[in-house]
Amino acid sequence: MAWRRFKRNKSGLIGSAIVVFFAMVALLSPYLAPYPARSYQALYEGAAGEAPSWQHPFGVEESGIDVFSEVIHGTRNDLYVGLAASLLTTILGIAIGAVAGYFKGLVSDVVLGITQIFFVIPVLLLILLFARVFSILVFKGLGLTLIVLILAFFGWSGVAFIVRGETLRVKEMEFVQAARSLGAGARRLLFRHIVPNILSPVIVVTTLNIAGFILTEVVVSFLGFGDANTSTWGLLLNEGFSFVRTEWWVSFFPGLAVVFCVLGFNLMGDGLSDALNPRLRE
Amino acid sequence: MARRLLEISDLRTYFFTEAGVVKALDGMAVEVNEGETIGLVGESGSGKSVTAQSTLRIVPRPGRIVSGSVKFDGEDLLAKSEDEMRKLRGPKMAIVFQDPTTSLNPVYTVEKQLTDIIMLHRDLTKEEARKSALHILERVGIQEPEKRLKAYPHELSGGMKQRVAIARALSCEPRLLFADEPTTNLDVTIQAQVLELLKQLQKEFGMSMVMITHDMGIIADMAERVTVLYAGKVMEVADTVTLFTFPKHPYTEALLKAVPSVAQTRALEVIPGNIPNLIEPPSGCVFHPRCKYAKDICMKEVPPLEKVGEGHHVACHRWRELTLEGKSS
Repeated sequence: MAWRRFKRNKSGLIGSAIVVFFAMVALLSPYLAPYPARSYQALYEGAAGEAPSWQHPFGVEESGIDVFSEVIHGTRNDLYVGLAASLLTTILGIAIGAVAGYFKGLVSDVVLGITQIFFVIPVLLLILLFARVFSILVFKGLGLTLIVLILAFFGWSGVAFIVRGETLRVKEMEFVQAARSLGAGARRLLFRHIVPNILSPVIVVTTLNIAGFILTEVVVSFLGFGDANTSTWGLLLNEGFSFVRTEWWVSFFPGLAVVFCVLGFNLMGDGLSDALNPRLRE
Repeated sequence: MARRLLEISDLRTYFFTEAGVVKALDGMAVEVNEGETIGLVGESGSGKSVTAQSTLRIVPRPGRIVSGSVKFDGEDLLAKSEDEMRKLRGPKMAIVFQDPTTSLNPVYTVEKQLTDIIMLHRDLTKEEARKSALHILERVGIQEPEKRLKAYPHELSGGMKQRVAIARALSCEPRLLFADEPTTNLDVTIQAQVLELLKQLQKEFGMSMVMITHDMGIIADMAERVTVLYAGKVMEVADTVTLFTFPKHPYTEALLKAVPSVAQTRALEVIPGNIPNLIEPPSGCVFHPRCKYAKDICMKEVPPLEKVGEGHHVACHRWRELTLEGKSS
């Protein structure tokens, strides 16, 4: 039913097509990219700083990085960050939001308070701080996974709010009471009966979050707080920034990838939201 | 005499709302013997459903059982822990709810709804639980049970859904079943079928049943004994025949007069007014503002539940003086 409504939604379909395209690129990146990740090989071929050509479709960076290859490798890494961070926030958000919505009293008040704090703090500054401090001090070898963990740690509050609100609504429904009258305990009621009934909005937010986290990762890397040894779009943007007047292609193509990828996830999220929203059913 | 299964006495369940304390049950008492069907009658808000919820100890917040006693099979249910109660819900007692559209979980198939409960209470493998689910679907008269197992609730008709809900409630063979207005939201043609089914299952399973309804017709059809509730209090208790022919409480009389019948020539009588505000219930007899026989004493003193005859009790100051009209036939 939802699928039929989704199919009729043009922008949602276009978004999904874009997402599928990026997913394919990410999966096939080792075969699609002519050069390995972070490789300066083009320098030795005398192509450093060259404009786009048949040989180097997106041009070459000042020190010899093939932009085409780097954008492809970046696709894989940026999708990884977006998907992993979004999945983690969804799991965290469901657990925290469900507890805050189902239980009453001190526990849920404290949980709700913490959620509100995480909702209002200026997250980007803290992400930058944590990314810098942790990458130097503690988790040296984690690379992008460190960024994922930091993004998820600061990003779950939106999902938690939605899950809490929906839990408050669904827990009053008769089938919850019915399950309880047949011996289901609190954990069973929450995760077997309530949570499966509130997944629609969560799926939408998870999709939209992927776009958000990709964008945040781009910002973090662009500002130079990311992992300098891993190919990401943000890192390439950062490297091209100084030569943007002369070698525009170094920043232009990763920027284009960011725009389309984020657009794709957003369109898909909107399409899902229309398809899954019971109030829009005709 | 048959063995006593459920004995509720002086039960008080209050809802602590922001507007004040709602006394949903205020001295409720009822007894159910093994294998019998009793009726709980009253208007909406009289405390019928809260009685079922209180017995299973699943009163939703902000409601709470304040005092009283609930004895099931000789055991005090109010003294049990939540874990102990959870093991009783399903295998010992269950509820069939009013609206099967909302009481079945929309995201699970019929199979999952049934096997989930079966496997929760019985140590069965998935395949055994499926067989058991199939068996119970057959017993509630569902055609092509194999096919229905795979269906989601929204793919079934209203009557079929209620049959599934009944099957789920009976899946662990409870000894006491609360049927909470199980036919109110069904088509009239389906109502009779479902009632007949409940009657038949009650005999087959040898269980006790509490029929909660506001429909005196259903009571006449199903129940052996009746408790009439008003504003969380017991107004009258009697066996069904006595209650219908010789009601002793003005409220019972009024309920009987509000039932239409084919042979009837006079206009239906409605009970004037509404069920009282349970935050500040009326003084004296809670029914006095709507009672056409009310006198001074009714406003001042709460009438005790007095014995009229064998198994017949009434809470009315004036039952001795009044001659009330029952249903003849």
